[in-house]
Amino acid sequence: MLDDNQLITDDNVARAKDLLACLERGDEQGAREVLDELSRIRETELYKEMGKLTRELHDAISTFGMDHEIVNLAKDEIPDARSRLRYVIELTDDAANKTLTAVESSIPLCDNLSKDSTDLNEKWKRFIKRDMDVNEFRELSARIDKFLEDNSAGVTTLRTNLSDILLAQDFQDLTSQIIKRVIDLVQNVESNLVNLVKLTGAKVDLGEVQKGDGIKATGPAVPGVDQGVVSGQDEVDELLSSLGF
Amino acid sequence: MNMKILVVDDFSTMRRIIKNLLNDLGFANISEADDGNTALPVLQKGGFDFLVTDWNMPGMTGIELLKAVRADDKLNTLPVLMVTAEQKREQIVEAAEAGVNGYIVKPFTAQTLKEKIDKIFERIDA
Repeated sequence: MLDDNQLITDDNVARAKDLLACLERGDEQGAREVLDELSRIRETELYKEMGKLTRELHDAISTFGMDHEIVNLAKDEIPDARSRLRYVIELTDDAANKTLTAVESSIPLCDNLSKDSTDLNEKWKRFIKRDMDVNEFRELSARIDKFLEDNSAGVTTLRTNLSDILLAQDFQDLTSQIIKRVIDLVQNVESNLVNLVKLTGAKVDLGEVQKGDGIKATGPAVPGVDQGVVSGQDEVDELLSSLGF
Repeated sequence: MNMKILVVDDFSTMRRIIKNLLNDLGFANISEADDGNTALPVLQKGGFDFLVTDWNMPGMTGIELLKAVRADDKLNTLPVLMVTAEQKREQIVEAAEAGVNGYIVKPFTAQTLKEKIDKIFERIDA
């Protein structure tokens, strides 16, 4: 105990004598005042002790060195990362759909162009060889006229579709930035978790990874990450042919 | 070719890609389903000549669909092509044992799709 916590001090002896004197001469008011002072001294000590304990508790938590960080991770950054990744899905989905729509609108245009060109080419060659009567030639020139008009419109549409496909690729820039941020977050969570595990005194063996169920669907294999996977279609074919396929 | 084909994948973009590639190969009669649970009743109604399915889907997965097809007396000879991102060796072996007719890993090319389909029907015709 520190000196100022000691009970037997000259001041306290004086206060006790004072209290006794007050009681003996029947001075109730005086006795109450001395008692009040004594309890005030007592309370001050109590508060000091509580303050000290609180400080010690706070210091103990601070030695974790990450109390705020973990709270922030759990409260803000992880839900935030979830919304960011959902946005990545939205952006890639949108880009894929825009591209597919442009392609689906272009394919029939190309098919028509190709069909008409082949057909007209064959007729045109017959015309050059003078192997065509005047009625058929009239029909041919009308078709050539229409073909040239259709071509001009078709090529304009194709050009627009190609621009749409080009523009739809703008997701790549945005999604890679978002994903990079999430990678940083995952790294941060990882190092915090490792520290927490170390604090509990458990051994951290980062080399040992729990093996997943081989048959359960696990999604796309990532090169250099997944074990026991084939590297591509050729290996699938090899494996299947070794099974008698 | 008027073969009736069912394409099963939970991602609509992948269904659109496969459908367009099949169109290019001359198949025009194509239906879609988004997992095994929706695919199986459609198949059981009959009329389908070929099934193209993903593996990893919510609800009923592609491997479960394949097993259900092989266990169904009316469907057990239906040719099944799996087009999937699942590429663990034991998964490919499991699909083979369950009676898959072809296995394509994503990402894939139009050429691969054509080769596997040709191979499947060469064997069936032989």
